[in-house]
Amino acid sequence: MRVGLLHVRRSATDTLMRTEPRAEPNRFYGLFEKWARRVRARMTIHRALTGLAIGLVVGALLAVGAWRLRQGAVRPYMAAAGVVGLMLGAGWALRRRWSDVEVALYLDGRLASKETITTAIALRDEEGEDDAARAVVVTKAAEVLAAGNPKRARPAVLSAVHLLIPVGVGALVWVSITELPLAPVTAIEPGADIVRVAEIEALEKAVELGRLETPDPEQRERLKKIGEDARKLKEQLEKGMERREAQSEMARLRDEIAAERARMSGSEQRAGLEAAHGRLAQEKMLKEAAKALGDRDLTRFDEEMQKLANQLEKQDRELAKKALEEAAEEARKNNAKDVAKMLEEQKRLLEERAKRDEALRQFADAFGDDMPPQMKEQLDEFREQGTDESAGRLAERMADALKNMTPEERKRLAERLKEQMNKQDGESPGESMTKEQLEELADRLETPEGQRALEEMLRKMANEPPHSDEAERDRALGDAEKGLGEAERELGQQGPQGPGQGQKGLGTAPVPVPNSGGTPGASPGGNSTDKGNSKDMGGTGSHHDKGRGDHKGSTPEIEGDGFRARAGGKLNPGAPMPGVVTGRGKGRAGESANVRGLDGIGEASTGEVGGVERSEIPEEYREQVGRYFSP
Amino acid sequence: MTNLASFEVRLAQASQASQLLRGAIATVVVGQDAVVDQVLWGIIAGGHVLLEGAPGLGKTLLVRTLASALDLVFSRIQFTPDLMPSDVTGTTVLIMDAGGSGGRHFSLHKGPIFGQVILADEINRATPKTQSALLEAMQEHAVTIAGERHRLQEPFFVLATENPIEMEGTYPLPEAQLDRFLLKVMVPMPTEDELTQILVRTTGHEVAPPAKVLGQDDVLALRSLCRDIAVAEPVLRYAARMVAASDPSSSFAPEKVKQAVRFGAGVRGAQSLILSSKAVAMLEGRAHVAFADVQRVALPCLRHRIIRSFEGEADGVTTDEIVQELIRSVPSRPESVDQAVRRG
Repeated sequence: MRVGLLHVRRSATDTLMRTEPRAEPNRFYGLFEKWARRVRARMTIHRALTGLAIGLVVGALLAVGAWRLRQGAVRPYMAAAGVVGLMLGAGWALRRRWSDVEVALYLDGRLASKETITTAIALRDEEGEDDAARAVVVTKAAEVLAAGNPKRARPAVLSAVHLLIPVGVGALVWVSITELPLAPVTAIEPGADIVRVAEIEALEKAVELGRLETPDPEQRERLKKIGEDARKLKEQLEKGMERREAQSEMARLRDEIAAERARMSGSEQRAGLEAAHGRLAQEKMLKEAAKALGDRDLTRFDEEMQKLANQLEKQDRELAKKALEEAAEEARKNNAKDVAKMLEEQKRLLEERAKRDEALRQFADAFGDDMPPQMKEQLDEFREQGTDESAGRLAERMADALKNMTPEERKRLAERLKEQMNKQDGESPGESMTKEQLEELADRLETPEGQRALEEMLRKMANEPPHSDEAERDRALGDAEKGLGEAERELGQQGPQGPGQGQKGLGTAPVPVPNSGGTPGASPGGNSTDKGNSKDMGGTGSHHDKGRGDHKGSTPEIEGDGFRARAGGKLNPGAPMPGVVTGRGKGRAGESANVRGLDGIGEASTGEVGGVERSEIPEEYREQVGRYFSP
Repeated sequence: MTNLASFEVRLAQASQASQLLRGAIATVVVGQDAVVDQVLWGIIAGGHVLLEGAPGLGKTLLVRTLASALDLVFSRIQFTPDLMPSDVTGTTVLIMDAGGSGGRHFSLHKGPIFGQVILADEINRATPKTQSALLEAMQEHAVTIAGERHRLQEPFFVLATENPIEMEGTYPLPEAQLDRFLLKVMVPMPTEDELTQILVRTTGHEVAPPAKVLGQDDVLALRSLCRDIAVAEPVLRYAARMVAASDPSSSFAPEKVKQAVRFGAGVRGAQSLILSSKAVAMLEGRAHVAFADVQRVALPCLRHRIIRSFEGEADGVTTDEIVQELIRSVPSRPESVDQAVRRG
């Protein structure tokens, strides 16, 4: 039996006439567009959700990073990464939008239509293909789509990766509400923290030293250099520098100033100083002054001399003047010209101060019952202290009282002055105002001009007391040295402080300290103005500190008979030992006990090594200590 | 509309014809349905088929039965080592004129190649020179004898058999000749049931030859229809990717290919894939080719075109394994589409 395909082909027209009309190709394309829209929309949603999931995970990781860095405020904002991921996912979906062929391949895969739809779509785009095959394929594809189950063919919107969405959200919420971790404790090298100081009074005094007038050009140069160094240090402190560096520099300046003060007792001056000290020490009334001179403390020496000027009677003053004169002579003989000059100046000042003090006392007595209480109080202080300062303050009060006097009071004052004048007729004028002076004073009080002139004279007396240049220089040096020492100690005691300090006084850069969150708060001794996030989050030492340590401990008592040693010197716990710790500062003159001739004069010479035997050092240690201090 | 109806009818008739042919063969050959199908793909696609199998599995019988069912000129060439090319193609002989006139002339004696269905039995037993005599005929459907070119009658196809066991005294087919076979069909051992059935048929009375169900024009019409089957570009690209992946120098070749293959399939391999796929689709009544059709024909189309490397041979990797690896690893759809299909 032959099939006869050719015959079949010839009779195809008959077969054709019996065939039902087929769907138009447009039907397929319409159906396909409908399916394709659905598929593409779901794929877009799928990819956008994938982007959201990835973004949320990234956001959660960033939040964890912020948590670790203790940036608590930014944690919730990391959720924005999810939004960014959603947008990127949507953008990616639109950019990688499936072509018709890809959609057709997907539909063929899901509908198991053996690439019927794909072939129909591909043939649509091709020219010159056999229309017969194309028509058949398109018709079959339309039938597939028409019969296909949309639910079966639609792409899944959710996939396993989308489980990351709730995971990411949960992680973000959890990280956002979790307490921040404790800050790591950062060990800082002692003294390596940065310190900033806006103003230190002691440094100003040291800067002023550069402008101090001295007869010795070499000393002027040295003081100028000290002033310049102090100015540079001040500028560096304003900008900020290492604490240890600042302390070292301050110690160096202090040592230079101390050396400058001690220069008077240098090897060339020492013999004269000792001779002068010995002469003054012979007079009982000058014992304290001699001790001050032995200590090379010219300021104290000057103060002692001021007291003597106020307190000594005329005969005693004469003795004192003589002693000063002889001491100056002794000093000169021993080639201590500076010492001799200073002693002669003190002799002159003794005379001037005595006259001033007597005049003030007489004038004060003339006030009688009209003396205001403030003036009386100042008079008592003057009598007790007898210093230039108290004399100046008394003169100031007198001028004020004079200004506020009624004419009757002035008249009474003038009368009392005249009475004093008459009383002096029979006495030796001595150190008090002369008769002419008192008369002139009484005459002045009778006219307003004279009264004003008297006021001005009193104020001048208050503001320009007799003074010693050497003592002034020594006082300035002493003030600067003392101020630097205090500043150095203050710098050492300052703990790490928070930002915002350094407006005035001492301050440092922020230092991380353990706390329960937020930035470090105020630390002890600080006057931080930083509010920051320090609410309920203090640094160490803050009253907000919620550290986990146990503060209930106690230190047990140490059994012992008592202290065996006494320390009289000032301790500076925060400052390095000069010349020892930092290696920058020079050794301070007079601090090395094993150098002969630089210790206090008149008290305990280093030559007197036997002094160790007379000291309070326990007997069993004396030999060792004596050997140590032996020159 | 005319074309649409006509095409569908032709497809239906083609499917019916293939069923008739299968039925006719089945009256003589027991089982071997897959082999029969593959041979049909080769005939419809217009290619030659190489059958490889152990002796006695019915290769020759299958071809003879097929030739009997087709109303075509059948020739059989038994390849032996002493077979000469002229024994295949034919030759000119000097003929003395009758009547004693003394006249003589050359006369062409056509060889067995001048048939339509050629059975080249045990082709690998002939020398390469004789095997090469088939080359021109297979490729160009023409032979040249004594400088004269002779067209072969269409449809023309060669069905060759070879024995994989008897390596002694055999000459493996050169790659160039192998490449000219559209398909290489492996003939398996029959199952127990099939063997029982064979015994029943062959130990009784001789079975009558099958009826001729398809003529010359029918075969040509089938071939024409096969060429009309539509193939979408993604399917073409899939076939191209698969062939390209069989080249070990390709960047996307599977690791197994890189290790075990020396030369991959060429252009003829890709053509073979598509033509055979078209035949499969046509016999299934479809007007287009699917990915599955390509995968189905990949083994017979590619297994004889892949040359194994030394490592591949040493490791015992067969070309069938390599082709199966290609089918597994070469994606038919874009990755994103494939993921979406699998995700549902």
